[in-house]
Amino acid sequence: MSYELTVERLIEAPAEVVFDAFTDPAAQRVWMRDRDDPGAILETECDLRVGGAWVIAWGPSRDRLYRETNVFQVVDRPRRLAMTTTSTTPDGDRLDTTTEVTFQEQDGKTRMTVVQRGFPTAEVRDYFASTAWANVLEALDGFVRGKEQPA
Amino acid sequence: MVQFQALDRTFSALSDATRRDILERLGRGPASISELARPSGMSLTGLKKHVKTLEAAGLVTTEKVGRTRTCRLAPGHLDDAMQWIAVHRRRWQRRLDGLAAYVEQTRGGTG
Repeated sequence: MSYELTVERLIEAPAEVVFDAFTDPAAQRVWMRDRDDPGAILETECDLRVGGAWVIAWGPSRDRLYRETNVFQVVDRPRRLAMTTTSTTPDGDRLDTTTEVTFQEQDGKTRMTVVQRGFPTAEVRDYFASTAWANVLEALDGFVRGKEQPA
Repeated sequence: MVQFQALDRTFSALSDATRRDILERLGRGPASISELARPSGMSLTGLKKHVKTLEAAGLVTTEKVGRTRTCRLAPGHLDDAMQWIAVHRRRWQRRLDGLAAYVEQTRGGTG
């Protein structure tokens, strides 16, 4: 049970130019920089090959870093990237998803689409943790006891 | 027993891709039935049926004003998941904005 998100953007350049800027670490250090907070930490390393990792770390200080590790599953320049994505917050929350990025060129422009999949439905997970499994275990416990000590 | 029935309803409501799309869309804000039907290409009747299922599961509330029925996420449900999604959506939007600015400036500067 999971959710996904889609983000689209039309960029005024051919797909090869967009793809290369997206995957080149030197370019990433420019376009990923937070324009509202140019002094924030931003580190990115990108090993563009299947099995290679794109590792990003950013945040206000060394001890408050967000991290994202993308491992490439598909590298199809300049059309498509597929990767597994592990995101962590400074508080230690961790989220595993998959991310697919496509570059569709039309009339010298590129439509970029990012689809990130696998967001858990916390409501269902919490329901299991708090209520459903407790009920099941209680019922099972009662069932087992009933067998042991037939009334 | 009542709790198990609620769980069954939640699960069967979430087991359908169209209904998950509806919830994802409503995570971005309230929408009318016809706004929900548009991207899926589904008939209004078909969509209303899905919304009814989500409503019965307590995941969605609807309110009819005039001829328009507005749907929204029921409070307290799916909040955590929607927050994760909202954070990651903003993150990608910012990245793609930055990338577009970078690419368009670089090309503008060189010819």
